[in-house]
Amino acid sequence: MESNDVEEEEFGFSRNYFLAKEVRSSGKKGARKLSQINIVDEQELREACSNIEPKHENEIINLVNSYKNSYSEWVYVLRYGFGLLMYGFGSKKALIEDFASTALTDYSVVVINGYLQTINLKQVAITLAELLWDQLKMQWKGASGTKQQPFNTRSMDDLITFLDGPHSENDDTFVCVIVNNIDGPGLRDSETQQYLARIAACSHIRMVASVDHVNALLLWDKKMVHTQFNWYWFHVPTYAPYKVEGMFFPLILAHNGSAQSVKTASIVLQSLTVNAQKVFKVLAEHQLANPDEEGKCLHLILKFAILFYNIIDKENYFHFSFRDAI
Amino acid sequence: MALVADESPSPPLSSVENNFQPFFVLHKASPPRKSAVKTRRRIELSPNAVEDSPEGYNENLRFETLKFLWSRNESTIKEVLKNNNAEVFDKIDKWISESFNSICAYGKLDSTSATRPYPLLDKASISTSVASHQIFTALLCTKNMEFVDDIMTFVDLGAHLRSRGRYVANLTSLDFTAKNGVGGCLKSLLRQFLMVGIDAPDISILASWYTEQGNTGNPMIVIIDDTERCCGAVLTDFIIMLREWFIKIPIILILGVATVDGLRNNLSSNACSYLSLCEFTLGTPAKRMDAVIEAVLMNKSYSFGIGKQVSVFLRNYFLRHDGTLTFFVRALKGIGGESSSLGKNLVKRALELPSSMRFCQSRENRNDCAHGLSELKRLRKLWSSMVMCLYEVGKYHKITLLDLYCDMLEPVPCDSRASDHLQLSKDNSISSYNHHLLGCFQNGGWVNRAIQIVRDLPAVELCKLLKSWEMLTSGINEALTGDPRRRIQTDLLESQKFLKCSCCSKSSGVLSPSMHDTSIMYSLAQEHGDLINLHEWFHSFKEIVSHPRTQAKQRLRLSPSPKKRKACQQPQNQNEASIQARFCRAITELQIAGLLRMPSKRRPDYVQRVAFGL
Repeated sequence: MESNDVEEEEFGFSRNYFLAKEVRSSGKKGARKLSQINIVDEQELREACSNIEPKHENEIINLVNSYKNSYSEWVYVLRYGFGLLMYGFGSKKALIEDFASTALTDYSVVVINGYLQTINLKQVAITLAELLWDQLKMQWKGASGTKQQPFNTRSMDDLITFLDGPHSENDDTFVCVIVNNIDGPGLRDSETQQYLARIAACSHIRMVASVDHVNALLLWDKKMVHTQFNWYWFHVPTYAPYKVEGMFFPLILAHNGSAQSVKTASIVLQSLTVNAQKVFKVLAEHQLANPDEEGKCLHLILKFAILFYNIIDKENYFHFSFRDAI
Repeated sequence: MALVADESPSPPLSSVENNFQPFFVLHKASPPRKSAVKTRRRIELSPNAVEDSPEGYNENLRFETLKFLWSRNESTIKEVLKNNNAEVFDKIDKWISESFNSICAYGKLDSTSATRPYPLLDKASISTSVASHQIFTALLCTKNMEFVDDIMTFVDLGAHLRSRGRYVANLTSLDFTAKNGVGGCLKSLLRQFLMVGIDAPDISILASWYTEQGNTGNPMIVIIDDTERCCGAVLTDFIIMLREWFIKIPIILILGVATVDGLRNNLSSNACSYLSLCEFTLGTPAKRMDAVIEAVLMNKSYSFGIGKQVSVFLRNYFLRHDGTLTFFVRALKGIGGESSSLGKNLVKRALELPSSMRFCQSRENRNDCAHGLSELKRLRKLWSSMVMCLYEVGKYHKITLLDLYCDMLEPVPCDSRASDHLQLSKDNSISSYNHHLLGCFQNGGWVNRAIQIVRDLPAVELCKLLKSWEMLTSGINEALTGDPRRRIQTDLLESQKFLKCSCCSKSSGVLSPSMHDTSIMYSLAQEHGDLINLHEWFHSFKEIVSHPRTQAKQRLRLSPSPKKRKACQQPQNQNEASIQARFCRAITELQIAGLLRMPSKRRPDYVQRVAFGL
């Protein structure tokens, strides 16, 4: 009987798939509309969202605390040369940062928030190089001939070479990079992942990352997984709410999804020229400085959004209209 | 999120702000010990400080031991793989000499034409033949589907050729991207040959460097390791460019390919005709695997070994899933770490050994006496004890599959039969208990034989073994690789098992309102097709969470019929908002987990299920 397990599992999968397709066609007839739900006011919904009463608070605390016993093992694996990859349902941000704050105090730690939309990896690499430099200086204390090098003018290749360099006989000198949601929207493209992999492979870098997506493995090829990230997986479900991580997702019941338009707007904003982006920044700052004029500024931004959309390249005209409109 | 933050000793004040920074420095490395005043709590927790405690000391000793042993293994593996390729490397080197001789036979350049910053192609200045327009190219076939195993091969090849006085540059497919064009690979080439980064790469720089060096006696070798993954157009441009400079810069190419056809598919026929190809073939992955196993596991002089089951598991994983030697070696390393962390009691036991005690007494000068020969012996014993737990169940050499199956589920303690294969230790001071432990060690032959047996097994049986191993290793080491697709779904469907709460566990199979919201939602989603009607889903969710538990218990299947809903609707608007908010958050979380796709414009009332079955 057992020998058929594999076939059964595969059969089970296809059966599930086709059943799902079937149910869908029958479910369509009596389709109900989202609008039939008596949705509360968006403001109220958002407020309720921030005040959701936590469930199983104690159990979650116990569960997360139970992982604290593994901290020493994690440090061990990390020092041994592996990267830690945490997965399982629930936000792992607090867990990993707590791990770093308590068990990795001997090393500098940089946290990358992968759930954000835009992350400048070069800036991260510069920071890493500076931290490593500080750490090395501490070791060489008293030794002469150590002069500070300006990292921010170096190319990414140079920075990676520096992080990978044989600076110290003590191979326990490293900077730890924590990547919350390495499968997050800001890091999901292949170029970024390649850079992350190269950074992770450096001799003076160790990486601790978390993934939340069931298909996160698809981000990497075998070279990256085995030789660069060198992942050591740990299953650590926390069931903690994805509060920060979920902040950029639209609320499904919010009318027309203003959050959705925020996301869309940010995509449009990213596609603009640097100059155009700067103008939006000026506008935003103006708005923040004059909160009373909210309506006016929003109106302006809207006006400019349309304007830029049409005439992104014609900068002269754009300058003129900008002054004009102000 | 706040749950843990509450627990931590000193949550940073700006943590909320940090959540919205793309990246931030959590903390800087604490200065070397005694150089700064730290809070008491920090001292307790920092690894350096713990070093003073016996546990910390043991921990550190374990770490050093493992690192030491593994570095030996690592160099052995490197050596074995290098030797495995030595023959091919020598052949390539010979071929390079021959090729370079034929390039030289076309004639030498006079100094004026050599220093001109443009390529030479006019027939007057060189003695031409059709062949002179072809670049000598070695095709190194890896015969391997996965390229990751061969990354080091090409690095080794480069080192081998450099040791013979050649100029070598190693390029990878990442240097041949459409984004960077031919400038990208040229930049990398100049970086490696000239050892400087040049912002505006130009091949004439390379030509003048080559002439200035006066290296007319040596060709330049360019190794491209993963040619099939290079951008075809860029590679074609690169080859055309090299051909134009062929006389000034005698470059010889070595292209790594999985199969010969791979290159033809990637390059234009034009570029192909510019190459004068010569094929070389590396050893098969299986052959290399055997060589590594022989060197690492079968060699009696190393105290490194893995149990039969572990090797079977790894072997199966190699054959059926991963197929790369790299993973196998990595897993060996991981298992070393894992076994040492599993065998804490054994470590404790080992540290009580007389020899170990002696060492501990003189531990104040332990920094001075780094890994001497005698210490090596001790460390090896320590290590032997540590990996014991892996050997405990793998001592029989001739067992039926059923025995193996049972063994894995219920390890059998050592018996006297095992001592037949006793691995004698030179140190007589170890206790009889430890002798007994060592009795469980097999010599290399048994492992070899076990692997041989496993290799001959029919596929179905192998599969069974693999499955049982998956079960056994779940939650322990997973041989380094996670299974997020299944595990994240299990986390959600069986949340009560992980949370160990008293409220939800009792009602097995029934959704209770006390369960984790996202868990309830995902369980409900299982009853839907690949499209989930948001309206129905919401009401099912609402019914579950707004019902007292007794009523929820009675209902196994959820029917979102309007009558029932009417009866249970609670008028409080406050409550309604909260339920809707929880619904929204659960959907967001399912989306983060990649289990849902948001409504499309065509079907605004439906979300799409992504995963079917575990």
